[in-house]
Amino acid sequence: MASPLRAFVRRVLGVVRTPTYYLPWLTRPGITCTLILHNVEARFQPGSNVGPFSVTAIQHDADGTMVRRYQTELTDSTSTVELALDPTRDGCGFVTVAGERMISDFFVTLSDGHDYTATHGRGEFVEHYPARARVVVRVLGSLLALVGRTIPAFARDQYLYASADSRSHLLLMNLSNVPNRIRVTVGGDGTALGATLLTLPPMGSRLLDTTRLAARSGQGTVVRRAHLEGNAWFNLYLVGAGPRDLAGPLSLMHVK
Amino acid sequence: MSSSLSALLSATFYERGDDHLVELIHQRDTAAHRRLHSLDVAVYDPAGKLLATPPVDPGREVLDLGALVEEIPGVPDRVMVAFDTRYDERIFPYRPHQYAYLHRRGSTAPALYYAVNAVLGGVPDRIGVTTMNNFETYLFRRAPFAERYSVLLGCLSRFAAVEAQVYAHYGRERTSREVRLEPRTHLEVEVPAEHGGERLDRVELKALFRLAAYVVGRRAATGELVLFDHLFTYFK
Repeated sequence: MASPLRAFVRRVLGVVRTPTYYLPWLTRPGITCTLILHNVEARFQPGSNVGPFSVTAIQHDADGTMVRRYQTELTDSTSTVELALDPTRDGCGFVTVAGERMISDFFVTLSDGHDYTATHGRGEFVEHYPARARVVVRVLGSLLALVGRTIPAFARDQYLYASADSRSHLLLMNLSNVPNRIRVTVGGDGTALGATLLTLPPMGSRLLDTTRLAARSGQGTVVRRAHLEGNAWFNLYLVGAGPRDLAGPLSLMHVK
Repeated sequence: MSSSLSALLSATFYERGDDHLVELIHQRDTAAHRRLHSLDVAVYDPAGKLLATPPVDPGREVLDLGALVEEIPGVPDRVMVAFDTRYDERIFPYRPHQYAYLHRRGSTAPALYYAVNAVLGGVPDRIGVTTMNNFETYLFRRAPFAERYSVLLGCLSRFAAVEAQVYAHYGRERTSREVRLEPRTHLEVEVPAEHGGERLDRVELKALFRLAAYVVGRRAATGELVLFDHLFTYFK
């Protein structure tokens, strides 16, 4: 959907965007997820560099429910807090982090206890649809879902990779308070290889095993194109895997 | 050259044995936006010697660095690869930089995906960073993981050497190392994970000019990459 049209529809529906900093999280058997909270990037910013800094983190599970609310404090702009996130049955979601005068990017790390991988979060927004708009989105979305489609309000494109001993998957996050139907199509060399329609609950997430949509073929590292469309604001992180795939050590990485 | 074109000079490091694929563009639906206007690729050894300028079709979307670099006779274990790009600004609508996929062949480590360092945007109002971007930092976890850390630095200047300082913070202690990079040279500055009984908290990089810089974490026993990330500027 073109940007001006999207902005117009948003106004008509009364959608409010709340600035939000969030990070993905992921736990698996043997894999723990820890945030590094800090405000070191404020070190040279007058007005922002004097602590203490109170920080609140809210961990949302894959079904959108709150797993836990964490409250912590940074004593000054060079102190850090490592926050170990609770594992859950679904094992993925996102965490929102808020605090006054916090102007730093926070880190999210995954570890198998031997080593760890890391990336950072995103300062974006969460969309809040009023009740009337939620009804409209639900009804329209349900009708389109009958034919495997969604309201293409937002679209993203992402390259995917697969080799004999590594691959990338997708962690999708619904950054809105409406169910988000996200249609994912995967193609390569001009051909469509697979498609799926996922329904993410409000503030929910889904780890998508991309090899189920398009099996690897050929030698070396195969590159595929994924195209994603959703009826509300969403984002994705790449999940990097090694030869043990999702049962082994993993990495998370932000995208453009 | 058209004045409507934007410019991007970026760089990464290729190490022997890696699967390393660089996304030269941002993936788009419209095929017309999937083509750079021009692309010059240059490969340098650590001493700054130009090893090759392999021709690459600017219409290519993803470039396999392994296939490109390992064909160069006598190539060392690590090289710096520079991408000098001219592009229609619709290709990089936000901050222009490329992304890449990285995994050591045969490694049990997970694949990594990272943002390639944009060293010089070429057009200041398009690079997204108008403040000082040569004073940066990065934080580490404090647990004693079996990893070793370093900062990989590359100098893309044409004529001037670049002096840089790498500071490592351990609790209240700080160590520093000064390095000087001649044009097109690169080096890996080791950052010990421990000092004086304290674990590494963070690293800082101060440079006279913008360098290609990555924070690196390797498995201590094998050297396989588990961290390959950009630093964060103090001045957003």
